[in-house]
Amino acid sequence: MIQFSAAAKRYPGGQEALRGVSCEIAAGEMVAVTGHSGAGKSTLLKLAAGIERASGGTVVVQGQNLGALGETALAVLRRRIGFVFQDHKLLFDRNAYDNVALPLRVGGFGRDEIGRRVRAALDKVGLLAREKAMPVALSGGEQQRLCIARAIVNRPAILIADEPTGHLDAEYARAILDLFQSFHRVGVTVMLSTHDESVLERLGCRRIALAAGTLAP
Amino acid sequence: MSWLRLHGHALGEALRRMSAQPVASAFSVLVLAIAIALPVLAAVVLQSAGAIASSLETDPHVNVYLALDASDEDAKRVGDALRASPDASSVQFVPRAKALEELKASTHLADVIDSLQGNPLPDAYIVRVHSEDPGRVAAAREAWAKLPKVDQVAADFEWARRLGNWIRFGRRLLTAIALALGVSVAFIAGHLIRLQALAHREEIEVSQLIGATASDVRRPFLYHGLLQGALAGAVAVGLGVLAAAWLGAELRALTPEYASELKIVSLDLTWNLAVVGLAAALGLAGAWWAVARELRQFSPGR
Repeated sequence: MIQFSAAAKRYPGGQEALRGVSCEIAAGEMVAVTGHSGAGKSTLLKLAAGIERASGGTVVVQGQNLGALGETALAVLRRRIGFVFQDHKLLFDRNAYDNVALPLRVGGFGRDEIGRRVRAALDKVGLLAREKAMPVALSGGEQQRLCIARAIVNRPAILIADEPTGHLDAEYARAILDLFQSFHRVGVTVMLSTHDESVLERLGCRRIALAAGTLAP
Repeated sequence: MSWLRLHGHALGEALRRMSAQPVASAFSVLVLAIAIALPVLAAVVLQSAGAIASSLETDPHVNVYLALDASDEDAKRVGDALRASPDASSVQFVPRAKALEELKASTHLADVIDSLQGNPLPDAYIVRVHSEDPGRVAAAREAWAKLPKVDQVAADFEWARRLGNWIRFGRRLLTAIALALGVSVAFIAGHLIRLQALAHREEIEVSQLIGATASDVRRPFLYHGLLQGALAGAVAVGLGVLAAAWLGAELRALTPEYASELKIVSLDLTWNLAVVGLAAALGLAGAWWAVARELRQFSPGR
């Protein structure tokens, strides 16, 4: 489903986030990317989601070499991947419903279809009753769930989450992890990053351990 | 269907953004409209001046006056010589008796003329010339003045031609001003859209992150620019019509005798539509320029 071959990323300014990482994530698999902060976890996830381009090596997602795709094709590919951002990236000028509807509007869906899918996604994360709420009125855990709802509203085959439990207390974190496991159970390929040992124990899935931009031995 | 929907979304979004800030939108349109109205007004003035000029006799012609003692034979010889000249396109004879009658009829000098012992007016020829070139006309005048029994050769059309030259100069000046203002309209429109783009910076970034293409992001801004430009063009045309009516009333009050000649000529429908269309196109171009700058900064791909 996702293959990295000697994938490298050097950001403008010279910072080398990844140095030749090769690994593979199978369809329907759930993996946790681990490592200290600065190990390159976020960069690896962004390469898989087509949010960043590799500066060396190749990244192949669903059979497509992302390096060979043009800007437009890459943007269209991003629609098929749900991404839960570490900083949520919610739009604070519109309510929960409109935040979740954004990917569908980009995709050119009709109003009825948007309504059905948005409510289904909000229902899945337990925010159906709060569709009119503005993001500022939501707690940290609710904002995280709203971000997940937006990531799954296009029914992606791949769901990628960057530190989804980072700022949450244990109880909230457990609920979020249960949510990801439920997506995994219905066949979604899930890739998430964490530096929290308790999260890894709970998930009990395969780990991709990074250290200083390379695979840890 | 999905394509139509994308454009529907974009148009709706543009209208929503405009109506969300009605005062700011109105001012934007007004600023653009005034910039567009200036060349429109200048065009109205020039068109009116052009209408006046075309009612004047600008046909290049030369009057050839014969000496008072010229006989009919002499007059005929001069006429033949003029007709044979390569510079003359047509030659019209005005006998002295007819000239005197016309003078009597068109002025209040009948008593004075009757008291004269003879006819003080000479025979004359009105010669239309092929070329307006001052050098050619001067050369022809010189040659014809040397014909026997020719007293004077006068070219009265030149002042009218000079007016025509000024109007042509005015047209060129107008074109230059219109071009400069057109470019500035595109930049002003672009700047106004850029403010919008900055206000929607986060939305642009998030949209691109979740899979919006550059054209997806651009579309609502382009509609916004197009609508803003078209509205401004329409308001400018309205301002032009109002100003023309206002100035026209004053002009009529000033010159009652020439009311039929001196009047403001408004632009016709085709021109007005062209102004609106051009303004819309400039708004579109400005929006494209503005959003292209934002897109480069936000592009997550590089």
